[in-house]
Amino acid sequence: MNFFSLAAKNLQRRKGRTMLTVLGVAIAISVLFSLLALNSGYEKELNKEVNSLGVHILAVPKGCPYEAASLIIHGGVIPKYLSDSDYRNVSTIADVELATPMLMHQFMKKDEKTGVSTPHIIYGINMEETRKLKPWWAVEGRFFSDNETGVMLVGRGLADKENLSVGQVLPVGPKKENFTIVGILDRTGDQDDQFHFFPLKEAQRVFNKQGLITTIAVRVRDVSRIAAVSQEMELIPDIQVVTMTQIMGTIMNLAGSARSLLLTVIAIALIISAFGIINTLLMSVNERTREFGMMKAIGASGLDIARTVLAETVFITLLGGILGTVAAVVGSSIIESFVKGMLPYSPGGSLIFYSPELVGFSLGFSILLGLLCGIYPAFKSSRLTPMEAIRGGVE
Amino acid sequence: MSCIIEARKLCKVYLRGREEIHALKNVDFSIEAGEFVSIIGPSGSGKTALLNLLGCLDTPSSGSLRLNGTEIAGQKERDLVRLRRENIGFVFQQFYLMPTLTARENIELPLLFSKKNRSAKRIDEVLQMVGLADRGDHLPGQLSGGEMQRVAIGRALINDPKIVLADEPTGNLDSATSEMIFGLFSELKKRGLTLVVVTHNLDLARRAEKMYTLRDGRIVGCVERASLDGA
Repeated sequence: MNFFSLAAKNLQRRKGRTMLTVLGVAIAISVLFSLLALNSGYEKELNKEVNSLGVHILAVPKGCPYEAASLIIHGGVIPKYLSDSDYRNVSTIADVELATPMLMHQFMKKDEKTGVSTPHIIYGINMEETRKLKPWWAVEGRFFSDNETGVMLVGRGLADKENLSVGQVLPVGPKKENFTIVGILDRTGDQDDQFHFFPLKEAQRVFNKQGLITTIAVRVRDVSRIAAVSQEMELIPDIQVVTMTQIMGTIMNLAGSARSLLLTVIAIALIISAFGIINTLLMSVNERTREFGMMKAIGASGLDIARTVLAETVFITLLGGILGTVAAVVGSSIIESFVKGMLPYSPGGSLIFYSPELVGFSLGFSILLGLLCGIYPAFKSSRLTPMEAIRGGVE
Repeated sequence: MSCIIEARKLCKVYLRGREEIHALKNVDFSIEAGEFVSIIGPSGSGKTALLNLLGCLDTPSSGSLRLNGTEIAGQKERDLVRLRRENIGFVFQQFYLMPTLTARENIELPLLFSKKNRSAKRIDEVLQMVGLADRGDHLPGQLSGGEMQRVAIGRALINDPKIVLADEPTGNLDSATSEMIFGLFSELKKRGLTLVVVTHNLDLARRAEKMYTLRDGRIVGCVERASLDGA
């Protein structure tokens, strides 16, 4: 027998009360754990998403740059355009390693079976340059070359969703021109999985946007030159410059405020559950005044009794912590969809990222919670004077 | 025989609010090693205070109390705990067994606090001694009152105390069972333990070797068994 097994047996006496307290802790810990998992997952995914652009600077038409940038990352259409001449100006700036124009277009495609229309996004790209920006691109079938007509690539996610295969022909644009799928991109785990890719000239022709582009993606020779290059780009009248660090920062800020709201809620939940634990313990300490008196009489020191009470608390919170962590892992998809709805910008991949450190942290935290909550009841129980307790008052 | 408990001008004063309560007033007595002593007295006579002091759960306000040669007055809490563990076994009226521990585990409980290692064999011996060899795995709820008190006595014995203090040990038991418990005490006396029993039950108190009467914080009577037998 040790203090922990004694505590476990003591807790069995009031199973209902113990379980309710454990449940309270479990809920608080599971929310805490999910939020932390979400936090690390969110940053990870966002980084991955921004890096997968392979781009340091985006040139977008003047307007709200962040909205534009976020649309570009996530796929979307801005009703404003840059011109081919802007592109030529950008590519001549010193220190620009690579600049490539892109045209984005969105069209609605009606599903023949369900009759539901969903937006599809077409990227008109310069394949040779894009492949330099995204060297990890691999394809089933083949890439197209920039002068080809009537060809397209599709992302793997889109292909799976729509049952597309290499060689299939799709009607595109106002005139329903036939485009052949020459390749399907291997899964990249980011937004590229969901797009159609056309040769830039074809995209401009089909959608009547000759000479127009939505954005210019720029890679700089040396990361330390990003600021200098973007300053020079700002001099071109039509262009607004957005660097990836700015985008990251803005998104993280937006997400940060949503997160601090969540954190507040969790802090309140934890405080409530802490008071619940303290209350439960004080109740059980008061109920057992006589028993503690007996324990002292048979040789327990005040410290021994405090230790028993602390062991009980830690038992409750650790059990709650384990339960909460398991529940958070099991229910992560529910939590994720809830949180995705709350955040202003969500990366496409899985947001919740569990690490062993995180599991360790939440279990460690639940032990700490138990120790903190147990201090007062333990102190109180250790100060009892035994015989008064046992015989019920001074004779 | 040497005195195992020796009280000289023993006083205990409690504060209840502003009121001073003189629970014990200049009490003198001594108990020899191996003696079986009973203490009787009405409520409020100071029995609890005396038990507190004898059990090293409290220190005297003034006067002297020597336990097995050690002065209790002025001891620190730490030393009191040690003295208690080494010398005293406690038995209560309400038994105070842990309801979720088996008889065997209840008897084992003081070992958790004294950090002593006792073999399972020693626990078996104690179970045997209190006549519960076959009931070790029962929970207190499955035992009769007499059996529960025997578990409590076993618990008092596990640390090999020199003195067993019993506070109304038969207060919750019928007379036949009380008889058995006193029989057990006589057994323990034969093994050389000192027994101090506080009780209301005059019949049982009279079976001790010496019977002290406590009233209003003073010892007002001491009757020896020899004279009781003669009566």
